[in-house]
Amino acid sequence: MMVKVTLRNLAAHKLRLLLTAVSVILGVAFVAGTLIFTDTMNRQFDDLFNGIGQNVAVDVRAKKVVDGGDETITARPVPATLLERLRRVDGVKDPVGNVTGYAAIVGKDGKLLGGQGPPQLGVNWVPGGDLDLKTGRAPSGPGEIVIDAETAERAGYRVGDQIQVVVNGPPQRPRIVGLADAGHLMGATMAAFDTPTAQRLLLKPGYFSDISMASAGVDERVLRDRVAAVLPAGYEAVTGTQMREDAKSDVAQLMSFFSIFLMVFALISIFVGAFIIFNTFSMLVAQRTRELALLRAIGAARRQITRAVIGEAVAVGFVGATLGLAVGAGLSVLLQSVVGIDGSGGLVFTAMPVIWSYVVGIGVTVVSAYFPARRAAKIPPVAAMRDDVALPQRSMRIRIAVGGALTAGGAVLMALGLGGVELGGNVMIPIGVGALAVFLGVAMLAPVISGPVVRVLGAVYPRVFGTPGRMAQRNALRNPRRTAATAAALMIGLALVTTVNVLGSSMRASVNAEIDKVLGADYLVEAQGQGGVDATAVKAVTAVPGVEQALPLYQGNGKINGKNAWFAAADEAALTAGARLEMKSGSTRLGTDGMMVDTDIAEARNWQVGTVVPVQFAGGATERLRIVGTYAPNQLLGPRVVAAEAFKKNTVNPTPFVLVVNTASTDAATMAALERALAGHPGLEVRDQAAFKESMSQQIDGLVNFLTVLLTMSIIIAAVGVINTLALSVIERTREIGLLRAVGVSRRQLRRMIRLESVVIALFGALLGIGIGVLFGSATQRALVDQGLTVLSVPVVTLAVYLVLAAVIGVLAALWPAWRAGRMDVLKAISVE
Amino acid sequence: MTHTAPTTDEGLAAPGAGDLAARAQQITKVYGSGDARVVALDGVTLGIPRGRFTAIMGPSGSGKSTLMHCMAGLDSIDSGTVLIGDVELNRLDDKRLTRLRRDRVGFVFQAFNLVPTLTALENITLPMDIAGRKPDRQWLDRVIDTVGLRPRLGHRPSQLSGGQQQRVACARALASRPEIIFADEPTGNLDSRSGAEVLGFLRDSVREMGQTIVMVTHDPAAAAYADEVVFLADGRIVDTMAAPTAEKVLERMKGFDLPGATSA
Repeated sequence: MMVKVTLRNLAAHKLRLLLTAVSVILGVAFVAGTLIFTDTMNRQFDDLFNGIGQNVAVDVRAKKVVDGGDETITARPVPATLLERLRRVDGVKDPVGNVTGYAAIVGKDGKLLGGQGPPQLGVNWVPGGDLDLKTGRAPSGPGEIVIDAETAERAGYRVGDQIQVVVNGPPQRPRIVGLADAGHLMGATMAAFDTPTAQRLLLKPGYFSDISMASAGVDERVLRDRVAAVLPAGYEAVTGTQMREDAKSDVAQLMSFFSIFLMVFALISIFVGAFIIFNTFSMLVAQRTRELALLRAIGAARRQITRAVIGEAVAVGFVGATLGLAVGAGLSVLLQSVVGIDGSGGLVFTAMPVIWSYVVGIGVTVVSAYFPARRAAKIPPVAAMRDDVALPQRSMRIRIAVGGALTAGGAVLMALGLGGVELGGNVMIPIGVGALAVFLGVAMLAPVISGPVVRVLGAVYPRVFGTPGRMAQRNALRNPRRTAATAAALMIGLALVTTVNVLGSSMRASVNAEIDKVLGADYLVEAQGQGGVDATAVKAVTAVPGVEQALPLYQGNGKINGKNAWFAAADEAALTAGARLEMKSGSTRLGTDGMMVDTDIAEARNWQVGTVVPVQFAGGATERLRIVGTYAPNQLLGPRVVAAEAFKKNTVNPTPFVLVVNTASTDAATMAALERALAGHPGLEVRDQAAFKESMSQQIDGLVNFLTVLLTMSIIIAAVGVINTLALSVIERTREIGLLRAVGVSRRQLRRMIRLESVVIALFGALLGIGIGVLFGSATQRALVDQGLTVLSVPVVTLAVYLVLAAVIGVLAALWPAWRAGRMDVLKAISVE
Repeated sequence: MTHTAPTTDEGLAAPGAGDLAARAQQITKVYGSGDARVVALDGVTLGIPRGRFTAIMGPSGSGKSTLMHCMAGLDSIDSGTVLIGDVELNRLDDKRLTRLRRDRVGFVFQAFNLVPTLTALENITLPMDIAGRKPDRQWLDRVIDTVGLRPRLGHRPSQLSGGQQQRVACARALASRPEIIFADEPTGNLDSRSGAEVLGFLRDSVREMGQTIVMVTHDPAAAAYADEVVFLADGRIVDTMAAPTAEKVLERMKGFDLPGATSA
């Protein structure tokens, strides 16, 4: 019987059902979209990697010194002479030396192709290797190149074109002699030279990045052991299976990081959606008080009432999850195009997105509807006979106590997380859980504070908008819980957006302050992508009139004192010319075997001037470096500076990542002259201090915008919530609206009344959100002062814009409910039961 | 234009022909179509004289509420003409109709008369506030004192009894001095004492302030407060009665319960 009641109810209120389902749909779509996208990407990467090294049984490469990072560029190369020795190992067939390095193809517009994540690969052409010629012929000699067909098509290059290629060295101008079919590279670019050219440009003459070989019928594990026996120290042999797995797992790791990242935002959307669902069900229960009381009066048990409401939630969740899954598939196509991948391969559907969509969709709906369902069961049967029954409301005191405790507990958790306390091995977990608790706590407290805040916000309404204004303000105050829950949904999105903006703005301000403090150079010449500043560029810059110094800074990774570490490498002149160092002890005299560290490291390791520290470079060799000085933390150089001599001696193809330039004057003419000098180096960019700051700001802005876009989803869901609340309120107030129309309120006045109510709710949510966001942001900034986030900057103008946007959201959300209210038939409205 | 039977002959002509606050001429109203077709009003012609208290009576389904809704501009008619003063309602669009209701008509409904978020005083001045007009202070004071609600003006409707709520509704209807007030079963939800208070108040406003009131009711005791009673059955006016008493009205009403009595 109760099932029938539930079903009838759903059928009778299709619109209501759909409105509730929308928030489920959007949240589920985000989850499903992320999962489908990840699955699809993984399959494409699998396809890509399965095509690589199919015939390789064993691969010989340098032992890894440093985990992670791009060891193809910094690792110790394999000497070509090893090839002969391997050929003599029993069972080895066709050993081939491979060269892999950095080679970026320059497009027709003078800009490097690719480089936003996927690698710009340079390789040697191996006959019978992974690359198949599509058109043309194999490269031979220094002036010839084969590029992958996909990149060629994208850039509009054909066989016979002379193109520019940027490598770790002087730019090259080879001619395309062939196009290779490299499969789907997903944004990576590939350039192949003949082996001697590749060695010279990408690595080191007489060396390979690795040597791969097939097997003459021997099991690859047996062969691996045989090969390993003849290898010199520092090299290792791995099976082909292992090699392919390694390549895959790097990408899989990246993908899973990206997937988790997106999932966090999907969960935020779901969390916001839960508020909407909770609110909608609360309102539905309130509207059906009499009906539910009647059911109770004729003998339905409390459990049955609860079950009927929960049953409705299951149905809404099911519908929402189903539609959300479909929308999610569309979303994943959109994601693909945003990432720059064409969806020609089609989407991959596994069971996971389907299962999770239903688990999340139905789960969230049921959990959110649980409290309203419980409340529904508490409706006394006598309510059926009375006209005006208020649902039993729990006292505000309990609410204040629980909300306050949640807020305080959440704040403490966040503080612990920001202070570096880990939970489950991650500081993000206490911070995230803490933020969640704060949101819930504030949402619980919101009804208490909504009264005064809405009264203040709406104070101007009666004066400016007359009676509709007064009624709008009162309507917003009418049900503080409802107003608060609606506003809370908007609060979450805006709080996170505000946090991101406060942090972004603080980062910008901190970086600018840091640049002023530490950057001594007039100009910086920086390499784009993974390339460096080669010697010809240094020469060109030095030759510019007015240039007094043009000195290279290097960066590298290795193991210092047995731990992975990044470091800068420079000689003393470059150091003092480029950076303003605040020395705490010792001097900058790095010499050939010196090292400097900042005071943090020095204290942590108890190092002093004169301490000797073993440093293992990525190439494998270990040097004993002497600490010559300590300096105050410096963002430009980082915590460690190694003598350039020591770095260059132990690094293949050492290339500076930045050139510090000091000039006699810093006017436009000098800048123009520098740019002219670097015209032949498309991979390099010259920046003065202002432009350097600007480029840093742009990177930060890019990140802030990206995060804001991801958070927009939760704001859209919140807007749907406002629509929902208003639409249901309009239905609930049908008779009141009828009365107002009867006594002469015009449609316009009625619409304005609803619009104003919507705006005040939206503004309340926005104010809460922005307030919390500023607190979150400044707390995070405080916690990260040591990491260089020294300046707190609250972007007041941006936040004001968000406040205005919230008002606009309010107006937009009210459009449909207001239209509906205005269209209501007066007579029907006043005679509705 | 002379007012026509039956109102002419039976005493409604007393204040003088032509001085009518509202008129209905040959109006018909049909709901549904085919088998479900119901003729709610079947060529009703009626004049509401100014400064009088007119009651419209009839059994359930006689069309009395429909007649009132149509005359008040809340419902549309299928044929005929409705005038309030000299304004023909059929020709007005929603905007003008709304303005007419706001400025020239007052309403008292059976229930749910007040906006729950507004205080009693705010409810009383609501139509004028919407119009952006200043209420006439003296008049307002007089109305408030007449309904006897001065100590309760700051209360919300939920803090008032049913009788008090209806008195606030009456005060609202009176406050803007409309040409005509339509009351739809104003005492339907009240006990007899509160009902008598409200009805007495309505009658006094006609006698002392010269207000025009049309009231729909099915309660003979309520109808007895009116100056004239118009009887409606099956969408037609079947009788009128001047100076009604509860007994006379009840007697007349009994006739409707018999099948075919209306055609007699």
